[in-house]
Amino acid sequence: MFNERRTGQGAGPKGRGSSARGADKGGQRRPMFRRRKVCKFCTDKVDYIDYKDAKMLIPFVPERAKILPRRISGVCAMHQRKLQTAIKRARQLALLPYATD
Amino acid sequence: MSETRLYELVYIVSPDATEQAIADLHTQVESIVARLHGEMVRTETWGRRRLAFKIGKHREGTYVLEVFNGTGELTKELDRRLKVSDIVIRQLIVRVDEELRLAERTRARRQAEVQRRIDRGLPPLGSRRSSSDDDGRDDDAASGAEV
Repeated sequence: MFNERRTGQGAGPKGRGSSARGADKGGQRRPMFRRRKVCKFCTDKVDYIDYKDAKMLIPFVPERAKILPRRISGVCAMHQRKLQTAIKRARQLALLPYATD
Repeated sequence: MSETRLYELVYIVSPDATEQAIADLHTQVESIVARLHGEMVRTETWGRRRLAFKIGKHREGTYVLEVFNGTGELTKELDRRLKVSDIVIRQLIVRVDEELRLAERTRARRQAEVQRRIDRGLPPLGSRRSSSDDDGRDDDAASGAEV
């Protein structure tokens, strides 16, 4: 009983979030399950993001060659900042494109 | 005399340049570094690579990386000389000492943390992430610790 209430409470904010999102899409009620995104660089313990390593940077510049926002990639603020400078330097050296068409 | 710092210089040589021209350029860079009291650390030639976009009318180029210690004046002079050189199609000088030092420091801190945990008889990886790389999502971290 107590347990149930607790889980209900825990689901509260999530449920609200999904219903608000569902309203946009037209009243979908299914609670959205999203995996907690973790920063790739934190888990791999990367301390220095090297601008010379284009292979490592490529996943963060999809199709249009824009920098992937961290709300999508889940990269933490500190690493996104470092990633950003690395990508910009790599672009100057033509290791990564500025834009693709 | 200003401080010496660690810099990385990457330049892209036009694909039409001969091996000899590239070697000459490298010795030129070395002599400039030596003349302005710098010190070469290492050199890497990445060879011919495709460029991500056209520079001028080139689609590929030979990349050369030079790591050196030196002053700001030295980088200025190198940049000027590379701009003048007509076989260099792109160059970039980046100061790296601060970032490398920072990376070294975080690595050391992490190692110390692991050591401390081992000394206390705890598993080396805590439930909380040991590094301070966290994003300030305190609510998540706190709930994770409770469970």
